Order: sequence, then C-alpha cells, then structure tokens
Amino acid sequence: MITIKKFFNDIKKYFKYILYSTKSNLKAEVANSYLNWLWWILDPLCFMLVYTFMVEVVFKTKEQYFPVFVLIGLTAWNFFNNNITGCVKLISSNKSIVTKVYIPKYVLVLIKMFTNLFKMFISWGLILIMMIIFKVPYTLYILQFLPVLIVLFVLSFGISCILMHFGVFVEDLSNVTNICLKLVFYMSGIFYAISTRIPAPYNRILVNLNPIALIIDSFRKTFLNAHIVNYRMLGLWLIVGIVLSMIGIKTIQKYENSYAKVTK
Amino acid sequence: MSKDAITIKDLHISYRTLKGFSIKKSLLKMKINKSEIFEAVRGVSFSVEKGKILGVIGKNGSGKSTMLRSIAGIFSPDSGTIDLHGNSVSLLSIGVGFQNKLTGYENIFLSGMLLGFSEHQIKERIDEIIEFSELGKFIYKPVSSYSSGMYSKLAFSITAILETDIMLIDEVFSVGDVKFKEKSYNKMKELISDENRTVVIVSHSLGTLKELCNEVLWLHDGKIKQIGDPEKVISAYEDFMKKD
Repeated sequence: MITIKKFFNDIKKYFKYILYSTKSNLKAEVANSYLNWLWWILDPLCFMLVYTFMVEVVFKTKEQYFPVFVLIGLTAWNFFNNNITGCVKLISSNKSIVTKVYIPKYVLVLIKMFTNLFKMFISWGLILIMMIIFKVPYTLYILQFLPVLIVLFVLSFGISCILMHFGVFVEDLSNVTNICLKLVFYMSGIFYAISTRIPAPYNRILVNLNPIALIIDSFRKTFLNAHIVNYRMLGLWLIVGIVLSMIGIKTIQKYENSYAKVTK
Repeated sequence: MSKDAITIKDLHISYRTLKGFSIKKSLLKMKINKSEIFEAVRGVSFSVEKGKILGVIGKNGSGKSTMLRSIAGIFSPDSGTIDLHGNSVSLLSIGVGFQNKLTGYENIFLSGMLLGFSEHQIKERIDEIIEFSELGKFIYKPVSSYSSGMYSKLAFSITAILETDIMLIDEVFSVGDVKFKEKSYNKMKELISDENRTVVIVSHSLGTLKELCNEVLWLHDGKIKQIGDPEKVISAYEDFMKKD
C-alpha cells in the first residue's frame, strides 16, 4: 500500500512537469519539419490508404467501411506500439536527466504515454470525420469509447513500466520486443476482422487471449458496428493491467536508484 | 552545539552491472556474463554541521562525484546510511532536461520544474533569470541556435535561483566570458555563504576551496585520507600530488 501511496504522491507532485514536458516534446517534434503538425494527420491517413490499397485491390477482400475499419485498428495499435518501443529505451534516451537529478522514473513513462495519447486523439478526431465521409451512422454506443480507452491505457502503462525496467539492464531487449510486437501486430486483426477471417473456435480464443485484438475489436463495435462490447473480458484485462502496473511501479521504486549506475 | 545537516555513516557504493547484460552475448557465450564489481566509495563516514561549507578534493576517479550523487539521491548506496535530517537537497547541475529545439524561455520552465520548482515560482523569478543570463532577445530563440557560452549562461542562471537547504556543487563555479565568469562566481559565493545553507563542493580549484570552505575532505581511492582544516588538508594534498 505504501507503494501505491508513494506513486500517487509522486504523480501529484510531478503532474505539472509531466504536462509541461509532454507539451515540450510535442513542440520539439514539430519544431523543424516543414509540414509541422500536419504530419500527425497525414501519417495515419497515408497508412490507411496503403492498407486499403493492399487489402481491397491486392487481396480483393471486402469489409464494410474498410478505410475507417483499418484506421481504428491502426490508431489503437500505434498508441500501444509507440509506448512499448519508446519505453524500452526510455532510461538511456533520458540519460542526461537520469544521471543528474532524482525523478520518479514512472514520470518519464507517463510523459511518453501522454505524448502518444495526444497524437492518438488527433487520429480519433480523424476517425470521426471519416465516419461522416463514409456515412457511418453515429450511435450512442460511441460512449463505450472511454472505458475501452482506459483498459488500453492501463495495460500499456503496466507493460511499459516493466519493459522500461528490464530495458535498463538488458541491452538488446528492444530487438526482442520488436519481434514480439510484429507478431502481435499480425495477430490483432488490424487490417482484417478476426471474427470472420479466422475459423470458428480459434477466432474467439484469439480475441480473448490477445488484449490488443480485444481492444481493437471493442473500438470497432463502438464506432462501426453499434454493438455492445464484451465488458467481462475487458474488465478481466483491466485487472491484469492493474496488476502489471503495480508490479511495474513496485519494481521501479525498488531499483530506480541503481539505473543511473548502469547507463554510463 | 549546532545541529548536523548531513550525517554519513560507513558509505559504500559500487558499480555492479556497469557493462549491462545482452541476450545476444549470453546466448553466444552460453553463460551469463559475470558482472564486474568496482567499488567507488568504500566506507566513508563524516558529518557536516548546518550552515557549514565542506570542500571535497581528490584525484580523478577517487569517488567524489559518486558520493555527491548519492547524497543527492540519484544513486542508492550499497550499504551505509545517509541522513539529511529532513533537509531538502539539490545537486547543482547545468542544463538538466533541456530540449534543444525549444526556446530559452520554455527551457527555463522545463528545467526549473524538473529541479522541483512550481510553475508559479518560476514565473515570479523569470525576469530575474532572463536578466541574469544576459541573453536579451535570444531568450526567444531555440536553444540549439545558441553558442556554447550562451548555453551555459542560461543554464547557470536557472540553477542560480535554486534555494534548497543543502546544496551540492560539482565543479560548477563560473561559466561564460570573463565578465560573466566574475558575475557567476559572485552569485555562487552569495548562494554558498547563506547562513542557513549547508554546502558540499567538489572542486579542483584549490584556491577557491581555501577561500570558501570551513572544512575540507580529502578522498583517496574511495576512502577518507584526511578531513579537517582547509589550509592543512590542502597543503598535504598538494605535497602528495607533487610526489605522484
């Protein structure tokens, strides 16, 4: 319990810094590219076009509202993927801070996540616009967005914290995580619908065992299919996410003072 | 009897996993690579009274900076205790958390907040910082366009507003051109000589230490060689270094 209390105290203490640093990161990212913030819109849009071309023209499969369908998958995936890849090398990329001043290390995780969260919200805005263009009806099921997002956030936070810790001590952890992420990418049904493309018993197993697949599927139910999401499974993964977060927080609190010794 | 501000007992700090661990390497060698242990600080005990200034000397690699960082809470000691008696502490470091693509103005906030100031506190003192830094209009230009001198001027000006009970200084005394050097040195002296402030300084400029310190600690290979009166310890150190 002390762990959790310290965590919330730290977050309270550093919250302003987290926000300011997030803002600075975003500003710095667009500071010297010509198209500036336009890239945050163009990037998901272009990938949407690439996948639409690949699936509809090359593989000739049909999916209703495919561009929006794939954009939802990509948006959720990019958030998860960018958090994980960013956090594995987080300590060494923040070496100048870590070796000079004490800062609770999950603050760094949250800065990274908030930066990605902001970019994800631009993408969600894009999805809402695309829904109008493709004449997808708006329904009240859109309210399910928030609980699904919370599951995604908590789960990402837990995994990121744990990977950040091991990333300090294992030099080539990023190679391993990149391979695993690639695998998860293809198993999450980002450009295909797991429920119709994978034969009967396996599709449900895959959706329930792979949280990212479940989350993407839930987002699609929220925006496209106007269907109630599987709250029981989401709740289960939320609990897993909370447990992982607690393990992560506890590990970081225990070892964070030795991080500076390794990153020399 | 005045109260102690820092009490250190039998401090040991070692770098254990300096090399890091790689899955590739351990797969190739079929065994976990043994970690090398290097003890940087081995059994140091001392205390500093409140309001006093302690200088730390010793040749390169004798564990001075490591000790300072552990007092600041960046490292955890392997054994031994550091008791700060509830005082707030900061290691004076220059340019922490700078985002080079952003302007100097934004970096003052970024760095200041990282060092533990609230946004409000920084806003109160921002004019003072900008004026002290002598950057003028350049404060609204990205830090990446600064010359190295301008960079250190800005960085110094931010740290110069630090107001913690215990200040730890690692070789930062003065930066910039001749004029700014004098100004920053004077500012530093002003900060250090505050009656309620306890200061630990690591430095190689023995003249400065003689002038400022109440006491000097000589570290050699992670152990205390001498501690006491500045004149005596420094002259012993000078003799020792000449012989080497």
